[in-house]
Amino acid sequence: MIRFTAKLPAGCLILALAVTLAPASDIFPYPFHIDQLDNGLKIVSIPLENPDIIAYYTIVRSGSRNEIEPGKSGFAHFFEHMMFKGTKQVPRPAYDDYLTRLGAGTNGYTTDDYTCYFVVFAGRDNLEEVVRTEADRFLNLYYDEEMIKTEAPVIEGEYLASVSNPGRRLNELLRDTAFEAHSYKHTTLGYLRDIQDMPNQYAYSQLYKKRFYAPDNTLLLVAGDFDHARLMELVQANYGAWEKSNDELVTPVEPPQKAPKRAHLPWPGPTLARLAVGFHGPAFSDAVSDKAALDLLAAVAFDSSSPLVQRLVRVEQKCLSLNARFGDNRDPGLLVFSSVVKNDADLAYVETEILRELEQLKKEPVSAEDLARIKSNMKYSLADALGTTDGVAGTLAFYINLTGDPGTLNRLFALYDRITPEDIQAAAAKFFRPENSTTVTLTGGGAR
Amino acid sequence: MKARSTKTAWLGSAILAGTAFLAACAGSSGPDRLTTELLPVPGNPLVAFRILTKIGTAEDPTGKDGLCRLAWNLLAEGGSRLRTAEDISRAFFPMAASVSLSLDKETAVFSATIHRDNLAAFYAIFKEMLLDPGFREEDFNRLKAAQLAFVEKTLTGNMDEQFGKEILSLMLYEGHPFGRTDAGTVETVGGLTLDDAKAFYREHFVRGNITIGLAGGYPEEFPEEVRRDFEKLPEGFTPRLALPPAPTPKGLQFVLAEKDTPGTAVSMGFPVSITKSDKDFFALWVAGAHFGEHRQHVSLLFQKIREERGQNYGDYAYIEHFVEGRDKFPAPGHARRQQYFSIWIRPLPNSNRHFVIRQTLRELKRLVDEGLSEERFELVRTYLLNYTKLYAQTLDERLGWRMDSRFYGYEDFLAEAARILPRLTRNDVNAAVKKYLQASDIRIAVITPDAGQLRDDLVSNKPSPIRYANPNMPSGVINEDTVIQIYSLDVRPENVRIVPAGEFFRRPGIPAGR
Repeated sequence: MIRFTAKLPAGCLILALAVTLAPASDIFPYPFHIDQLDNGLKIVSIPLENPDIIAYYTIVRSGSRNEIEPGKSGFAHFFEHMMFKGTKQVPRPAYDDYLTRLGAGTNGYTTDDYTCYFVVFAGRDNLEEVVRTEADRFLNLYYDEEMIKTEAPVIEGEYLASVSNPGRRLNELLRDTAFEAHSYKHTTLGYLRDIQDMPNQYAYSQLYKKRFYAPDNTLLLVAGDFDHARLMELVQANYGAWEKSNDELVTPVEPPQKAPKRAHLPWPGPTLARLAVGFHGPAFSDAVSDKAALDLLAAVAFDSSSPLVQRLVRVEQKCLSLNARFGDNRDPGLLVFSSVVKNDADLAYVETEILRELEQLKKEPVSAEDLARIKSNMKYSLADALGTTDGVAGTLAFYINLTGDPGTLNRLFALYDRITPEDIQAAAAKFFRPENSTTVTLTGGGAR
Repeated sequence: MKARSTKTAWLGSAILAGTAFLAACAGSSGPDRLTTELLPVPGNPLVAFRILTKIGTAEDPTGKDGLCRLAWNLLAEGGSRLRTAEDISRAFFPMAASVSLSLDKETAVFSATIHRDNLAAFYAIFKEMLLDPGFREEDFNRLKAAQLAFVEKTLTGNMDEQFGKEILSLMLYEGHPFGRTDAGTVETVGGLTLDDAKAFYREHFVRGNITIGLAGGYPEEFPEEVRRDFEKLPEGFTPRLALPPAPTPKGLQFVLAEKDTPGTAVSMGFPVSITKSDKDFFALWVAGAHFGEHRQHVSLLFQKIREERGQNYGDYAYIEHFVEGRDKFPAPGHARRQQYFSIWIRPLPNSNRHFVIRQTLRELKRLVDEGLSEERFELVRTYLLNYTKLYAQTLDERLGWRMDSRFYGYEDFLAEAARILPRLTRNDVNAAVKKYLQASDIRIAVITPDAGQLRDDLVSNKPSPIRYANPNMPSGVINEDTVIQIYSLDVRPENVRIVPAGEFFRRPGIPAGR
C-alpha cells in the first residue's frame, strides 16, 4: 500500500516526500513519489525506463460537478478551452509555437469531476521548458472579454459535432430526467441554452478561475523518462508562488428518488432504437464495498460474454449491443444499462429482460467461478492500460481525481479481491429498486 | 474500475525500455508465398499479432459491395468450426482479449495483443478463427443485420461527419475499385449469402495473400509454430487488382446531402498522384501538416476557422487517407497504392456554411500560390520531427508501422522520415505543393438543410457576410472577412447535385438527385 510521510516542518520548501516501492500485492506496478508544496500543490512523479518520452498531466479537481449555479452548465469545459489562450508573457501564438516545436501530443479534457491537461512529449531535455510554460499558464492565464466571445461559439461547434449522435442525446435526457438537485443533471458540454450564453460570461469566468484553478485544487502527475529531483526543483521554482484558493463549493445533495421515472426522445431521422435504464448508485469508494460490488455485478451479468448479452445479441438477435456503464464519480452517480435495439417493437422486451436479470441477481449469488473470471479480466485490462507512458499517467490521473491520492488504485483492487457473492447480492437489493430507476428511450421517425 | 472485454493486456511493465528492436523479416519471395514480419522484443510481457491480408474492400465483386467487410467480420466475430462465438467470448474474457478487424481498400488486418501468460491459450483459439472459421448461419445473419443497419440508418442518420467522408469517397472514385462504400449498400448487403462469404474466404484467404506479423516477448520458437499453422492454408494468391487512374474532376463539383440538421458538415478533396513511396512525400507531408494537421493547433485551417473566428470545433487537411488511431495519431494499417488529398470541416452553423466553404477554398488557393514561409517551414518541420517520435509506442503500433513500411518499400518509414526531414528545404516543400496540390478541381460533399438555397448562393456568388458574438473582432479578421465574403467561386449549377440524405447507400454509387 502507499505510505504518505507526515508533513515536514513549516518553511520547508517541499513539505512531504515519499518514495513508495510497489509491493508485490499492489496492482500498480511502478514505484512513485508523492510530494506537496506548501501552497498545497501535490505532485505525483513516476520515473519510468521507457526511453525519452514524458507525460505531463495537470489535474484540476473541478468538473461539471461544480457547475451548481443556474445558467452555468458546461462552464468547466468552457474554461478548459480558455486555458489555451496564453499569458502576457507567453501569448497564445507563442504558446502554440512552443507546442508545435515540441511536437507534443497535447490537449485537455473535462469530465463530471475533473479537468485534465496533458502534454506528452519526446526528449527529457524539454522538461524544463514544459514545466515553465505549463506553470506560467496556470499561474498567469490571461484573456480578455473579446477572447471569451470568440471562443464561446467553438463550444457550440463542439455541440454541433455531436448533435447527430443519438447516444449522446439520450444520455442528456437520462441525466436531466434522473437528477433533480445535483449537477450531474447535465452533461459536461452543458445545456445548449447555457452554451449560447457563454459569450456573456467573462466576469463569471474570472470567479471560476479564482475558485478552482488553484494549487490546493490541483495535482501534477508526471510519468516517464526524467530525474525526480530535477523535476521537483523545476516545480518548486515555477509553481511555488501560486496562491491557494481556500474555496469550498458545496455541491447539492440529490434527494432520494421516490418513484420510477420515464422519458422518450423522438429522433427526426432514421436510427436504431435505443434504451437506457439508470439507477441512482453510490459514489466511488476504495473502502466501502457497494460500488466495487456493483462493478463486479456489471461484469458478471452484462459483459459481452455474459449469458444475458449472449442471448439478446447473439441468439435472439434483438439488440446490436447491451452493456452496463457504472461510472466512478466523487458524488453518487448513475448505474446505467443501455442497449441499441434492432426493432422499436422490442424495446419493452429488452427492458423487461434487463430488469428480470437484476431481480435474479438479488435472489441468487453469483458463482465463485464468475468472480474469478472477472478479477482476471480486470487485472489484465488494467495492465494493458498501463502499457505506455501516457497510459500510466492517464489511468492514474482518473483515480487521483477521485480521492486526490494515487494509492486509491491499489486500495480499490484490494477491495475487489475482498468482495464476496453476498456483497454483490446485497448491493443489487440496495440499489436496483423500481422507485430508484429512470428509463429513457429513443426511436426514429418522429414523435411517439 | 469496469471490467473490459474489448482490449488485451500488458501486465504492467516498463520493459519497452532498452529492449532490442530486432527486426527479422522471414518472408520469402514469390507472390504465392506466406510472408512474415517479426519484431522480437525479448523480455516484453506482451505479444502483438497483426495478421494482414492483402485483400480489402476494393476486391468486393461487382454487385456485392460490402462482402469483404462481412466475410472478414465473420472471421473476427463469428466463431470457429469447433467453437461458437459465445464460447470464444467466454474464453477470451478472463484474458481481457479480443480480435480487432481493421479494414481498408487494399488490406485488412486482424490484430490482437495478449499477455504472455495467455499466449498459448489465446493463439489456440485465434488460429481456429482464421484458419478454420465456423461460418454459421446465425452468425452470418447477425453480422449482416448489423451491417445493413449501419448503411441504412446509422451512417445517414447518426453520424454526419462520417457521412460526409463516405460521400466524398464515392465522389472521388466513381467507376474505380475504390469507389464503393466499405460497408456496402442496402441493396448489395441485402443480397449477400453465407455462400458468398465462404467463397470469398476460399478465394482470398490463401497463403500468398497473408503476412503474419508478430511483435513482443514471444518464445523464440513461436513464429515457426505460427508459420507452420498458416502454411496449411491453400496455396495461391490473388493477382494485384489493376487500379485505373482515379477520375480527374473538373471544376468545383458539389454533392449536397440534404437533411434537417443544425450543423453543416463539409468534406472536400481530390486524388493525388503521390503516396508514401514517392520521395516527394516528405516535402508534401510538411505542407499538409502546415495546412491542416489532424487535431493540432499547428493546422492553419484550424487557426483561421476555429481559433480566429470560432466557427466550429476544428478544421483539418490530409495528404493521404487518414484514420485516427490512439490519441489522435494516424493508425497504421491503411496503406494504399493511390491516395487523395482531403479537407475536413467539422459541423458549423448553417448560416455560415457559404462563408466557410469560400474561406477554405481561398486558403487552399493561397497555399498553392504562395506556399509556406521560411518561418512556417522551419516550425512545421521541427514539429513533425518531434511528433512522429510518438507515433509508434505500443507493440501493435510498432508492428503496424513496420508492415506499412514494407507496403511502401521502406525498411522503416519513421526512421526514413527522421533521416529525410532535416534535409528538406522550403523550396522542396513549395515545389511539392505546386506539383501535387491545386485549388480548382475539387469534389465537395456537404451535409446540410435547405440545400437548394446553398446551391443558389454558391452559383450566384452572392456575398456571404457572417456575424460574430464578439462585436470587437480584430481588424485583421474583419478586413480578411470582407475579402472572403465576396471571394468568387466558379460553381456551375450542373455541378451541384442535391440528394435527400435518406437516398444514400441504398444501391451503389451516388444517387442522381436533382
